Amino acid sequence: MRILNIQRMSTEDGPGLRTTLFVKGCPLACAWCHNPESIDPKSHVEWIGIRCIGCQSCIDICPKHGMTLDEEGMHIIPECPACGTCVKECPTEALEMKGLERSVDELFNELIKDRSFWGEEGGITLSGGEILMQYREAAELLAKFKEAGVHTAVDTSGFCSREALDAVIPYADIFLYDLKLFDSEEHKKFTGQNNKIIIDNFEYLLTKAKRIWVRTPIIPGATDTDENIRGIASIVRDRVEKWELCAFNNLCKDKYERLHLVWDYEKSSLMTKDRMNELVDIAKAAGAENVVWSGMSKREE
Amino acid sequence: MAPKYENAVKQPGKLSPRVKWLRDYYFEGNNRKWNNEYLAYTTGTPWDVQFDQTTYFIVPEMFTYMSPFTASFKAAAEVIPVDDDFWKKSIVERKAIFTKKAVTEKCPVEILPGDLLCGARFNMVYSMCLDKKEQKERNKLVKAARADANWIIQHGYGNSGATSGHVIPNYAKILEHGFKGEYEYIEGLYNKLSDADKNGEKGAQLKAMMTACLMPKELNEKYSAYCLECAAKETDPKRKEELETMAKNCANVPWNPPQNFWEAVQALWTTHFLIMSDERYPGPGVSFGRMDQYMYPFYKKSIDEGMSEDFMKEILGCFWFHCNTVYDAQIRVGGNQGITAGYGQLISLSGMGKDGEDLTNDLTYLMLDVIDDMSPILEPKPNVRIHNNSPEKLIDKVVDMISKSQGAPFLLNFDERSMAGMLREGKMAGLEDKINKDNVYDYASVGCLENTMVGNDRSGTVDNNLNLLKAMELVYGNGKDMAPYYDDLSGKWSKLTQDGPKTGTLAELDTWEKFWEAYKIQTAYIVKKLVDTYEESERIRFKFNPTPYLSTLVNGCAERALDVTRGGPEIRCVTMEGVTYATTVDSLLAVKYLVYDEKICTLEELVQALKDNWEGHEKLQAIAKNKCPKYGRDDDEADKLAQLVMKTWSDEVWKYKTKCTDRQFRPGMLSWNYWIGSSFILKASADGRKCNQFLSNAICPSNGADTNGPTANANSVGTALGGSGEDGDFDGYYNCLPNGASHTITFNTSLIADEGHKEKFKSFIRGYCKNGGTALQINILDADVLRDAQAHPQDYKHLLVRITGYNAYFVTIGRELQDEIIARESHKGY
Repeated sequence: MRILNIQRMSTEDGPGLRTTLFVKGCPLACAWCHNPESIDPKSHVEWIGIRCIGCQSCIDICPKHGMTLDEEGMHIIPECPACGTCVKECPTEALEMKGLERSVDELFNELIKDRSFWGEEGGITLSGGEILMQYREAAELLAKFKEAGVHTAVDTSGFCSREALDAVIPYADIFLYDLKLFDSEEHKKFTGQNNKIIIDNFEYLLTKAKRIWVRTPIIPGATDTDENIRGIASIVRDRVEKWELCAFNNLCKDKYERLHLVWDYEKSSLMTKDRMNELVDIAKAAGAENVVWSGMSKREE
Repeated sequence: MAPKYENAVKQPGKLSPRVKWLRDYYFEGNNRKWNNEYLAYTTGTPWDVQFDQTTYFIVPEMFTYMSPFTASFKAAAEVIPVDDDFWKKSIVERKAIFTKKAVTEKCPVEILPGDLLCGARFNMVYSMCLDKKEQKERNKLVKAARADANWIIQHGYGNSGATSGHVIPNYAKILEHGFKGEYEYIEGLYNKLSDADKNGEKGAQLKAMMTACLMPKELNEKYSAYCLECAAKETDPKRKEELETMAKNCANVPWNPPQNFWEAVQALWTTHFLIMSDERYPGPGVSFGRMDQYMYPFYKKSIDEGMSEDFMKEILGCFWFHCNTVYDAQIRVGGNQGITAGYGQLISLSGMGKDGEDLTNDLTYLMLDVIDDMSPILEPKPNVRIHNNSPEKLIDKVVDMISKSQGAPFLLNFDERSMAGMLREGKMAGLEDKINKDNVYDYASVGCLENTMVGNDRSGTVDNNLNLLKAMELVYGNGKDMAPYYDDLSGKWSKLTQDGPKTGTLAELDTWEKFWEAYKIQTAYIVKKLVDTYEESERIRFKFNPTPYLSTLVNGCAERALDVTRGGPEIRCVTMEGVTYATTVDSLLAVKYLVYDEKICTLEELVQALKDNWEGHEKLQAIAKNKCPKYGRDDDEADKLAQLVMKTWSDEVWKYKTKCTDRQFRPGMLSWNYWIGSSFILKASADGRKCNQFLSNAICPSNGADTNGPTANANSVGTALGGSGEDGDFDGYYNCLPNGASHTITFNTSLIADEGHKEKFKSFIRGYCKNGGTALQINILDADVLRDAQAHPQDYKHLLVRITGYNAYFVTIGRELQDEIIARESHKGY
């Protein structure tokens, strides 16, 4: 599998204490994405300026002669094949490989290490990018955990084939499912794809999955309208165990800078507590149950 | 230290007016009219010495003060005249008589406003009670021992010295039969002695102990009379009644067994503080053991008789106040320094019983409430014992209390791992009749977290502190120091001499196996060096400084008619605490990686870089810091070496006993603050650390090395201690360190932000119990830590910020956003 990283002692990826596997590659490209390094399915090398001591070992060793360092920082040519020579050479870990190849067995042995801490509720979560882009390996990995008696969660955007869903359903104890925008055109505008497949898959999952938690990122000027929440409420209704409205946060600015990308939400302000409470009320008034909000709200001093 | 962010600091809970007054008064520190400052007494002989500097050999900062302290106590000491036949008696009898005189004739009898307990002044420094010849011999031995103790400090070996306290006295037996019962018991033993023994050392010891038994009786008779005097003058009828009851209490205890909770707490307090008088040392880890267990019958009886829990909390509030007054001893030395250091009168709460059942009771919860209400405060230090069957209610309470403070107001002690270590001690020390499956559950902790048995065990838990890293320096120098050391006291640089064995020149160490062999040999040498150094101060105490009162409270002393300082206790160990563990493991891993596996440099080049304090070798230093494997990440290969390092040094420790007192050396890992002090002495290390940068603390991974988070950190610690397996010493658990190991983890506030997250945190604690170490200090991240991370990003690579879908390491995000997170953290505003 091509993975991004493993997060141990995760508290935000399903019930209980969990170990989460983040993988590389996502079929959506949400304008607000908080982990933009996960979108591209290909591996790439990232430079983290604060760690760099300017020794230039990487520049000397790069087989493609594709690196230059100037006042703005490190420049890596777009054709970089991510061979990893510079990453290995860098003495300070200022160069990081985003996207590592790991076998299912390797991942199982690494992920199982925290088993003592999971208790009755916790376990492992497979997350993205989009985990179901690598559904065959994901299913294999999940099956191994089920065999070992471990609780499993799948965190998905829902933008995947029915075959991919069917592959993991038997081995997933809970789905964490994203519903972002009710209006399909808007969905296309902000994520690059319309939401038909996602909603169809959601309906399908309601009939097949053991447990579902729905998550909606609340993004200013995109998903935070009354209509959107009412719309999603009309799909969710009382049919899931939990629907979480996740307040926008602005902490990923630096991640975009490192990728030399412009982030549309750089200047957006955080949601207020009042507005988040209001959205929860709107969702409830529209017939949804088990609605909560989480995340970072605007500081009120 | 004044907190920078007031609103992030926990405030005390709801206290009764009297307890609030006492607590506030205590924190007035130097401004108080009343305090418990040292009182100094002498026999009046011109050669008399009062201050015992050997008890401070383990405090490197104290060496420059030893002569001035000795002189100023001598000048300040008030003369207590002694009878003519005083000097004809044995040292131990003289000590018992003089202590009793000082305590019952000279020490002021005072009661603080609203106080429900008697016994306010007890910090004393007084005569060694030696004749001219004895004192001269002692002075000579002390001079030599001090030079040797100082030498090992200045050369980076660590420190060593026979110090006071660090024991859990048998308080339960005093509550059961009073000092009267103890007196009669010792008298019985004395009567059974042969006439020769009666007139010899054994008889002298038992007579001294009988004298000591009378000390609390006579003191509390004085207090009883004083309470009546106060009551007669008192106009408030309620207070008058309290004083009358206190008079009654003191007339009864601790000579007779207590009849209710109030008397039991009074008996406990009197019995306890007199140990500090006897030892001439304030609060050094004299610990209470399982207080919620042995006090429970008195709690139950008083509840049945109608005493309210609120009143019990007031009694305990007074008890808490008095425990803190130990710090007054040197209250005027260095401003309020007296209230910033830790002494460690430890209380163990909860824990398992004989068959693995949980022993949490109503008194456990009452005491947790008192801790919650009184904190932040330093003493007494509570440890909560957790095991696999600990009830939800207890863990809920624990997590709730943690979430209210920046850090836990107690340490968590983990039974299964701890008990495995104690059983290991039983086997290794040949003490299986004293420590076995049927009684090991009754262990408790002293000082900070040092596990011992209760009432019959003195294990000198802070007496030897060994810098494991020193062995690597001696490898680099082929048995000599790698570079000269500077002696602060003499102002001279040391000469390089062949102190340790020759283990090969750098050129000869051409394989990892040869390097490892050399490391093992130098480790054996440094362990032996501390053992030999310790013998000197141990022998001084053995010959000249008995503590007959403490001896009455430690089983074995009366039966063997041998003072606690002369090897009397049934379980007599002395602990060697390993310091700089992770720095040593990481340095070994670095040598292996850089020199032997990856061949990035030669051993000669690496040692040159260390001699140059890494200056001019920045790239190599960066590789050492960032690319070499590290302990604390749950990395199988690295942790395997960590386990081997642990086994190697701890096996070495078990080889020795003290010669004069027959105490078995046992291993532990409590670093106190030595990892800071020694970091300015020990040279640069192969893990990339420069001289003057902090060494690792106790069993914790090196600062910032635990990049895989708290669970990986905990797993590594469990593995280092021995992990688990079918043949484990207790229920599948192994533990190389019977003393236990100090482990601190800092968590994000977000982890305890709401009820849902608290459940997750409980899951971590349960997991730690299965896989982690013996004791855990939980700190909660605060704005100060984040600011420090901003200033020193290299030390905080592991600091993760996680807010719903987003995660990033704190130090990799921009200044502006870091400031935002800091602002939120100081307002607890997620």
